[in-house]
Amino acid sequence: MTPQMIFLMFFGGAAVWFGIVVFRTLSMVRSALALLFSQTAVGVMFLLMQAEFLGVLQIMMMATEMSVMAIFMVMFMMDPGGMGAMDMTHQKRLSLWAGGIGFVAALAVIWLADWGPANLQIPDATEQTAELGRELLGRSMFIFESAALMILTAMVAATMVAIHPSEGRKR
Amino acid sequence: MIPELIIALSVGAALFGVGLYGALSQTNLVMIIMGVELILAAALVNLVAFWRYLYPDVPAAQMFVLIVMAVMAVEMAVGFGIAIARFRSRGSVEMEEARELKG
Amino acid sequence: MTVLIVLVALAVGAYLVAVLESWAVHGRLEPARPAISALALLGRESLLARTPDRLFFEAGPVVLLLAGLLAVAVIPLAPGLIVTDLATGALFLNAALAYVLVALIMAGWGPNGAYAMIGGWRFLGQFVAYAMLIVMPITAVAMRAESLSTVDIVTSQSTLWNIAYQPLGFVLFVAAAMGLCWLPPLDLPTARGDLAGGIEAEYTGARLAVLRLARMVLIMALAGATVTFYLGGWLGPWLPAWAWSAIKILFVAGLMVSVGRLVPRVREAQYLEISWKLGIPLALANIFLVGVITLVVPI
Repeated sequence: MTPQMIFLMFFGGAAVWFGIVVFRTLSMVRSALALLFSQTAVGVMFLLMQAEFLGVLQIMMMATEMSVMAIFMVMFMMDPGGMGAMDMTHQKRLSLWAGGIGFVAALAVIWLADWGPANLQIPDATEQTAELGRELLGRSMFIFESAALMILTAMVAATMVAIHPSEGRKR
Repeated sequence: MIPELIIALSVGAALFGVGLYGALSQTNLVMIIMGVELILAAALVNLVAFWRYLYPDVPAAQMFVLIVMAVMAVEMAVGFGIAIARFRSRGSVEMEEARELKG
Repeated sequence: MTVLIVLVALAVGAYLVAVLESWAVHGRLEPARPAISALALLGRESLLARTPDRLFFEAGPVVLLLAGLLAVAVIPLAPGLIVTDLATGALFLNAALAYVLVALIMAGWGPNGAYAMIGGWRFLGQFVAYAMLIVMPITAVAMRAESLSTVDIVTSQSTLWNIAYQPLGFVLFVAAAMGLCWLPPLDLPTARGDLAGGIEAEYTGARLAVLRLARMVLIMALAGATVTFYLGGWLGPWLPAWAWSAIKILFVAGLMVSVGRLVPRVREAQYLEISWKLGIPLALANIFLVGVITLVVPI
């Protein structure tokens, strides 16, 4: 049991536990912040697996995204404080079975597949970041640019959809 | 059989199961988006585990993770834009009440 | 050992910044004021709201303090005097500062009171405004240093400080930093007179002391970040490295705390408009200019 295994199990368990809390708690803001801490645990797992840039990026992005999600929950949900104890679910048995089957199927693949030999020449963090930059702007430039174009289109579309109609008519 | 790889992949499988349960069982659009976020986080954990234990010298795997993170953010933004528009026209974003196109 | 020295330096620095802030607010230089008010706060009765969300109410100030301490951990005070020299130090600083938002949302939602909640959500609006303006100038700084490590960023300024190389980035970064630690004129979360204290309104006694201490640590972290990225960190002619760091950080923190009070409070909508319509195009122009200059000029 190497320390990395112990920490991976601990933070992985924390991520799954917070994920379950998201759907079990009644208070909506607690739900959003539980998702935040679940994603942060995933980010710490990245740091443990020595993907430093990705781990820090995950922690930073998820903190901001889930806080924005918190305010959207307060805007759109009927009972953001959770004091009313409403049951907001439907087709419970179907979704429990679906989740369970998904989990068991994935576990079966994990335990029965032959993953091949471990390759443990990890580049260190500065080299990783530099290599990632070179890959991003070199060989995968096309993917990067088309993803950027798609993101820009999606941003413009989301803003247009969300603008209040009376403001649109004024121009 | 690399034990750390198995642990990381199992965590990914568990997150996927929880996210799938959430995405299918919740009635509110925002909660469904949260379920999808959990599924995407599971995919990210799997990607990073494969990069670290099987192909550490391939930076394209990390680039894949970056693209998935960007797609997560954008999907959330577009989902919330749609939620705002729907809330304005109907007054709620409950999926049980979204039966206009149902046959 | 390094951790201890950095913590002691941080404590002394936070105390001095508190003295400077009380000078800016009250007009008289009273060196003992922060100590007296801290002791008074610890001795006062600790009132609780009627039905708070206990978890968030307790956790808010603590998460704020943790965010500030984590941000300080990557700031170099002298060559070798840094808690952890991460290869992605500048990005880690930004990640730690993102938890200020989480802490203020907890502190706003926890007490179950109207003014606190509005203060918390207003900070989210402010965050949407300043978030890009913190990251984009850091990108330009990292471009010159060709590394994200804070030590490399400081040593890359040995020929010319970044404030002269990238003045546009400096202005944008300082404006966004003042929004991050909600200093006036961007102090909507704890607006005196507008929100009756905002998120600080429901905290009393020891919890308020922790919240104020966390805010001082955050101001120190941001002053340290400004000095590292733009003012050359520990670089300077005659004095030893740590003395230059101390002088520069205190100077920047004093400026941040006092200059903003001359301007009226900036409303959310105005701040968002200025940041997104003016600030982000300027930040992108800054990145472009720095890229061109880095490739062409050999300093």
